[in-house]
Amino acid sequence: MRKNSVLALIAAFTLTLAACSGGGNNAPSSSPSPSASANSEASATPDAGNDGGEKPELTMLMQYGLFDPNQDPVSKFITEATGYPIKYEMLPAENADEKLNLMVANKQNFDLMKLGAAQFYKLATEGALEPLDELIEQLGPNIKAAIKDDSWGSAMIDGKIYAIPETGSGISVGEELVVRQDWMDELGLQHPTNPDELYEVLKAIKEAKNIVPLTGTKDSIYGDIATAFGVVNEWNDIDGKLVHKAELPEMKQFLAYMNKLYSEGLLDSEMPINTSAKAIEKFSSGNAAMYKLAWWSASSAEAALKQNFPEAKIGIIPYLKSSNGEAKVGVNLATTWFIAVPKVSKLKEDAIKLIDAKLEKDTFKGLAIGQEGVHHELKDGKYYPILPKFNDDLTNASVFMTGVDEHNYPTYWQARVRKDPVLQSYYEAFQANAANTTIVVDPMSTAPPIDAVSRNKQKLTKLLDDQVLMYIAGSESIDNYDTFLAKWKAEGGEEYVKAANDWYQSTKQ
Amino acid sequence: MSLKQTFSEKLFNVFNYTFFILLGFSTLLPFINLIAKSLSSESAVISGKVNLLPVGFQMGTYRYVLENDMFLNALKTSVLLAIVGTAVGLFVTTITAYPLSRVQLRGRKWLLLMFIFTMLFSGGLIPTYLLMQELGLINKLPVLFLPAAINVFNMLIIKNYFEGLPDGLEESAKIDGASNVRILFSIILPLSLPVLATIALFFAVAFWNDYFTAMIYITDQDLKPLQLFLKELLVSSSGEFLKDNVDAALNTTPQSIQAASILLATLPILFVYPFLQKYFVKGVLLGSVKG
Amino acid sequence: MKSASAKRGYFAKLATDLKRDWDLYALLIPGVSLLLLFKYAPMYGITIAFKDFNIFDGYAASPWVGWKHFAKLFSSPDFLHVFENTVIISFLKIGILFPLPIVIALMLNELRLMLFKRVVQTVIYLPHFLSWVIVSGLFIDLLSSNGGLVNKALTALGMEPISFFLDNSVFRGVLITSAGWKETGWSTIVYLAAFATIDPGLYEAAKIDGAGRMRQLWHITLPGIAPIILLMFILRLGSILEAGTEQILVMYNPTVYKVSDVIGTYVYRMGIGNQDYSFTTAVGVFESVIAFTLVIAGNALSRKYLQRGIW
Repeated sequence: MRKNSVLALIAAFTLTLAACSGGGNNAPSSSPSPSASANSEASATPDAGNDGGEKPELTMLMQYGLFDPNQDPVSKFITEATGYPIKYEMLPAENADEKLNLMVANKQNFDLMKLGAAQFYKLATEGALEPLDELIEQLGPNIKAAIKDDSWGSAMIDGKIYAIPETGSGISVGEELVVRQDWMDELGLQHPTNPDELYEVLKAIKEAKNIVPLTGTKDSIYGDIATAFGVVNEWNDIDGKLVHKAELPEMKQFLAYMNKLYSEGLLDSEMPINTSAKAIEKFSSGNAAMYKLAWWSASSAEAALKQNFPEAKIGIIPYLKSSNGEAKVGVNLATTWFIAVPKVSKLKEDAIKLIDAKLEKDTFKGLAIGQEGVHHELKDGKYYPILPKFNDDLTNASVFMTGVDEHNYPTYWQARVRKDPVLQSYYEAFQANAANTTIVVDPMSTAPPIDAVSRNKQKLTKLLDDQVLMYIAGSESIDNYDTFLAKWKAEGGEEYVKAANDWYQSTKQ
Repeated sequence: MSLKQTFSEKLFNVFNYTFFILLGFSTLLPFINLIAKSLSSESAVISGKVNLLPVGFQMGTYRYVLENDMFLNALKTSVLLAIVGTAVGLFVTTITAYPLSRVQLRGRKWLLLMFIFTMLFSGGLIPTYLLMQELGLINKLPVLFLPAAINVFNMLIIKNYFEGLPDGLEESAKIDGASNVRILFSIILPLSLPVLATIALFFAVAFWNDYFTAMIYITDQDLKPLQLFLKELLVSSSGEFLKDNVDAALNTTPQSIQAASILLATLPILFVYPFLQKYFVKGVLLGSVKG
Repeated sequence: MKSASAKRGYFAKLATDLKRDWDLYALLIPGVSLLLLFKYAPMYGITIAFKDFNIFDGYAASPWVGWKHFAKLFSSPDFLHVFENTVIISFLKIGILFPLPIVIALMLNELRLMLFKRVVQTVIYLPHFLSWVIVSGLFIDLLSSNGGLVNKALTALGMEPISFFLDNSVFRGVLITSAGWKETGWSTIVYLAAFATIDPGLYEAAKIDGAGRMRQLWHITLPGIAPIILLMFILRLGSILEAGTEQILVMYNPTVYKVSDVIGTYVYRMGIGNQDYSFTTAVGVFESVIAFTLVIAGNALSRKYLQRGIW
């Protein structure tokens, strides 16, 4: 009796465990159904592949996106166009680096990985990635045609290519100051053209409307106003030397100015805690008159403002001029993604063949903007999306890309902006305003991965941004800036700046 | 007993009820605000106009979330995980707590110390990940509940409860020749419903709320639980994630849909507590045994 | 000689026990196996606190470096300051937030309208299900100096508005209050369940003796849940250096680092983009050793003065 009950108990426990792990084992075997269906589709259209033979299934690791990559129309398109069945896995939205390290260190099998700059550099220097020079030479005619010579540098370490660089949509600016134009008109104010005029305008609005006129967010400190003071990019070429913005003497002037706005109640005291959603909320609810708008949130911002004030109008303030009357805009052209082939892959050639097939001119066009007449139409040399089909099929297309046709992508990409007329108008207005200024490209944009830079960049950026917020909010005195700068250098800034300059000087010979 | 209340008792009652009404409102209002947001037009939400009542009423958000396969899959996983995980966890934890609550167990002190040690020290993520990989548990459902099945905190609460039960209960059963296991299942457990209900709730809620384990060990879309889905939905619309990623910024999830998702991901687990509350009724069980 | 015989005596006794209560020991098998497999097997990971660990090289290939990472932690110019913040916030949380659920549970216990009681119980545990990001957003709105409810009330009373999230003198209060609001309701559950263990006969007897509700509470209810309070308190000591990293990371900002930067947040910021596993583990080991010491000491003191402990 006694024994039986205990045995039954333990048996029950073991069974539960077995049942559970059994259930778990079944789960994944039922899950490949999407890729299995992709498989059958692929074999149904064997003509798509160029050699007609059965192609192996490739596994690709991609960055996070809020959708199921194995069910997405884009994945079906890629398989149909290239003949390769592909299984997609995503990094998590948070802790992506940690997860990536765990997977790579434990030799989890992937044939392709789409990596961010820091991730790419880490894996490449740890020897986890395959050098691709020869494979690209042999199997990648389309790759060579699609990627411009300038771009390859960012994916080279010690003269070897470790990834296909994926650049973005070309030179474009994202943010610009906007203002409640209806209030400006009511008060008879002109758009400010420099920081001094901005100060006067903010003061006038504050007096007339009794609000804190300018709001901002903790994530967007620089740009516009900073640029007008000479803090243009993260790295700036001063007399042929790279100077980090933390080292610029102009930084102090910028901070003193912002602190003045803050302490006089012209700049939102909650800037250090504002998210971009909060800033939009303040602007659209009439609690702020001016803020830095990103064009991609323009349509929601405008709709929200109209909800509260149907008569309200948004005015775009042209980029401010510095004391010598020149307006500048800083842009960064750095490679966004790196498509690498890990050493553990057993299908390295196929991986490159797949990338190559995806960069074939027409295939890439199909991936970027779909089919003419179905997903997009051509009007006056510009691509316009056909909605809702474009959104239904191509919303997530960019996540699937493995390198872009750099000659055409900036043109294709703009179809995404034309999904919405409000979005489009802001995008175009910002670009037009930027075209009237001197566009300064961050000289580090095209740099290859450099050890001391990769190691320190994120930490030092955080250190500086935190300190900058403290100066703006007045919780630290700007008189101590030099003490901070010394600390910043000691925490790695010194070698950071030196390594950047070593590279920069080497490009000049 | 007596219906008479002293003045101070009346005063206390007034204070007590008022206090809980206020406290209840403070915890309820944010949820009402979420409901209002989920039922409002997106532009009204963005402009900060929505407080306790919807502005620009719509219900499309709920339709959108409930028609999303990822949400439905995640809901299935979470419900399954909460049920199986709670069953296994409660079982293992209870049968571990019982021997550890018996003074006659030799080495009890060291065993307890061995359990408590794991609350404070851990080998970290890297060796654990390696272990899961070797056990073939990556992307399998058991990875989400098996390691958590023996929960030392919950075990100690059950053990503490067992120790509080009158000693006389098992003495008589022992004299009748009942085994320890029999005593546990036929005498101790029926008297332990309040603590078992509590621990069941703790397990269910812990499994329901856990996104981290799944974030590390699960990449299979079909096995992602609801809280991971929710987390990723919120993170992928946050400033940190969208920085320098224009394509992602163009596809953010509207705030009204975020609100609807939070509510729909929380609602199912909220029903567990009222259901378990009936086991908390004071003293009923002990009283019935004695009587 | 003596010890050997004592040992044999021990094993002999163990054998007798095993024979008599073998099923009691058998019940431990599943729990102990899971513990050994999932908790103890990976324990070797702690060694990386004493190595320069590179995840791609693995454990064996990473060189031993002794106390280097601990030295780095203790010699960091910010360490003392961050440690101080951690201890202060943790003590505030223990001092204020540990007794709170007990008080609330006792007050709930005095509610006589059953339906009201049940509804209140369910409602006050709702915030436990909101993530810190959402709770932080709620408090930012509530405490905003730009239209927040609290500051509206303050100005209506003729007081100066307070920037709660940006003011070093009140920010810790915001942390404690929001943590209390989020978790107190949830934490009452364990005490509410403990009330069920109290023998109702005791209350009957007390009523016959004419004891009022206060006296019943003081002499029956409170002693009745004392063991669980003690257990919770000793375990709470184990997280003394965990002042709420997740919460603070979401809620703080540079202007209040001075009062809210704790060990967890500091290590997080210093580690951005680096993944220094060895250093992070060393910090974890430091925290664990302190926590373990406190739990052991707490238990010993409790056994000495209160005649009961966890073990």
